[in-house]
Amino acid sequence: MSATGSAGKLLGAAALVGLCGAAATYLVETPTRFWTNYLIWFLFLLTVGLGTLFMVALEYLVGSVWSVPVRRVPERLASFTLVAGPLALFGLLSLKVIYPWTQAGAAANPVLAGKAVWLNVPFFAARVVLCLCLWAASYWLLVGGSFKQDQTRDPAITVRSKRFAPFFMAIFAYSVTVVAFDWISSLEPEWYSDIFGVYLFAGSFIAGLAASVLALFYLVGKGRLREVRSDHYYNLGGLLFGFTIFWSYIGFAQYMLIWYANMPEEVSWYRLRVQGDWAPVALILAAVHFVIPFFALVSSRAKNDPTRLKRVAVLALFAHLLDLYWMVYPTLGRGPMPGWPELSFALLFLGGGLLWARQSMGHGADLPVGDPFLKQGLEFRL
Amino acid sequence: MAEAPFAVLGLYPTAQALTDAVPKLKLAGFDGLEAYTPYPIHRLDEVLGLKKTPLGFLVLGMGLVGTASALGLEWFADAVDYPFIVGGKALFSWQAFVPVMFEVTVLFATFTAGLAMLFVLNKLPFFGHPVLASKSIAAITCDRFALSIERGEGGEKPIDVAAARRALEATGAESVEVVGDPAAADTTGAYAPFTPRDAVKAALMIAVACAVAGAGMYAAVKVVLTVPPITHIQNQPKLNAQRASTFFADGSGMRLPVAGTVARGHLPYPFKSPEEAEAALANPLPRTAAVLEKGRREYADHCGVCHGSIGNGEPSLSSAYGGKPANLVSATFRGYSDARLYHVITVGKNAMPSYAADLAEDERWAVVHYLRALQRSQNARDEDVR
Ligand code: HEC
Repeated sequence: MSATGSAGKLLGAAALVGLCGAAATYLVETPTRFWTNYLIWFLFLLTVGLGTLFMVALEYLVGSVWSVPVRRVPERLASFTLVAGPLALFGLLSLKVIYPWTQAGAAANPVLAGKAVWLNVPFFAARVVLCLCLWAASYWLLVGGSFKQDQTRDPAITVRSKRFAPFFMAIFAYSVTVVAFDWISSLEPEWYSDIFGVYLFAGSFIAGLAASVLALFYLVGKGRLREVRSDHYYNLGGLLFGFTIFWSYIGFAQYMLIWYANMPEEVSWYRLRVQGDWAPVALILAAVHFVIPFFALVSSRAKNDPTRLKRVAVLALFAHLLDLYWMVYPTLGRGPMPGWPELSFALLFLGGGLLWARQSMGHGADLPVGDPFLKQGLEFRL
Repeated sequence: MAEAPFAVLGLYPTAQALTDAVPKLKLAGFDGLEAYTPYPIHRLDEVLGLKKTPLGFLVLGMGLVGTASALGLEWFADAVDYPFIVGGKALFSWQAFVPVMFEVTVLFATFTAGLAMLFVLNKLPFFGHPVLASKSIAAITCDRFALSIERGEGGEKPIDVAAARRALEATGAESVEVVGDPAAADTTGAYAPFTPRDAVKAALMIAVACAVAGAGMYAAVKVVLTVPPITHIQNQPKLNAQRASTFFADGSGMRLPVAGTVARGHLPYPFKSPEEAEAALANPLPRTAAVLEKGRREYADHCGVCHGSIGNGEPSLSSAYGGKPANLVSATFRGYSDARLYHVITVGKNAMPSYAADLAEDERWAVVHYLRALQRSQNARDEDVR
């Protein structure tokens, strides 16, 4: 598969226009606005990658067989964790611009002085590099192994992945928390919430699932992956449904505790985001991230209805993006209305991301033909 | 005329075999198909062409009713019937209500799922189903999957037993049984339906079991746990308020003060009118930070509920409390002497009870100082801010 063809050209053109817009943002608007938008989209691609990588590892961890026939889809999308590498390194340039703890007065602030052990540029960069190495290694072991198995048909690779999966979970928990604390929550370094990493994890997993559902139906629409049946769809729908609730549970738990205790240093984060200009965004977020998908997927028939699943997946990806926007963008001090810079970034990253996703759909065979559980997985019935 | 058998039932080795057999049987012209399986098989209802179960809607509907009831109850209790500010939050704080709403939703939904499934959809209590009396039931509740060609509700469609047997065997049934065959019932006794009499027997047995279990629990708690050496839990050397006691000669657990003594801080108060008190008393305490702090504490504990935390007579309880507490920061009471305030605290006035038993003398005087501070704070002059 190559990314040529009219759709490919369109995506390429969109990305190009977006790139110009992004560059213009830096020059005409402010560098802060540039980096804030950049951060949102970098995190979006990264979390899709991490969410799909988590899906792959989860299968090995719990030994599920139903997911073996669809595994190639998240495996291919997990390559976004690799894309995130250069993006993260480039993103390090934003530290001096948008993070208050790098600013001149930070040392005078007793709270920031206390956190300086963790929040300083060299250590931050070291954590970024460490995370990138851990993700690359995990990708290489789990996904790379699976691709290699297409040729070798060696069951030992499956055994190795199963052994590695528990360690991956530890790596994942650590790295997602670090991403949440470092890239997002340190934008307001006086604020903290212990559960923030879990919150980001919930969003990432939904994003990974939704992206996989869309890619799966994209392939099915092209006449590929016909072996995957409605029983498999049902499980994907069930996971999407379940984690929609999980995200809401975690999100509300964080909100309620902070609202209840009403401590100035904690509640400031929400004051900015659920009152005033951002209140409508918070409401829309609750609707698109919970209420609508919940009722759209609650019936058992909805969970394997391809049209319904596709729509919910698009909505879920949008909701995740809106979630990131809602977490990151208020720190800019602007209202929530997007302008041309936001649109440019959307064009750039959606165009680029879709191009990457499209070409990644050509990696390896559509089914993990070397996996010893493939036959069982294909025979899976609810 | 002998009744036709209830059903012809075939046992299949796997769920897949059963699901595959259904369309073939339908094609062969058999309807009235029922399946009996050890565990639920997804989508079997669709394959069999059963009516769509309303359970999902019932559960969702009742779940939402649960959400609404919880919200309604909390709104009524906290914002309408007993408006009481907690933790400085608004009376209607939906955030705090959500956990309860969530729990009640789950409660309603699960109860509906369980009870509606058992009593509405599965028509419990029902007394005997022929398949429960079949020989195959042991296999069905273990590891076999049964498909039966049934007579139907009113018995309007008699079954062609031989044809049904052939069709079941042709679609892969391992064994075939004719269920509820009245002819066979007399000879083998295999057909023994569960009758209302059995239900009564079962109910009696459950009652006996409950009685035995209850008696056992009672014995365990009241007898076994209190035989020595565990009796010390019950027999502690302590006196309960307003209980008899064998320890004292008069048999009463509560003691009167020794004759001729008074408690510290509670000297007898001889003054009948405010004027008498004003003539005899003056505030003995200095106006120090410690005294004011003590006054603030006692005021918050004893007076704020009625007079409001700033003394203006408008506490959060005012709507629930019938009396009209005085506005202590008004000009009238700013004009009261210390002794007169002290007098009110000690003897009370109309709807306001005496606080002589709750506050010692120095505590009352401290409250008086604090009242002055409140009065000043609500009527500040320019100089106070400089
Ligand atoms: C149960 C509610 C209640 C509590 C508690 C209460 N008060 Fe009162 N208080 C009243 C009411 C009602 C009045 C009005 C009585 C009247 O004038 O009929 C009143 C009147 C007063 C007056 C004015 C008396 C007058 O001469 O008009 C003073 C002074 C006063 N309270 C002080 C206090 C202090 C000090 C405390 C705490 C030790 C206290 N109250 C606790 C209900 C209360």
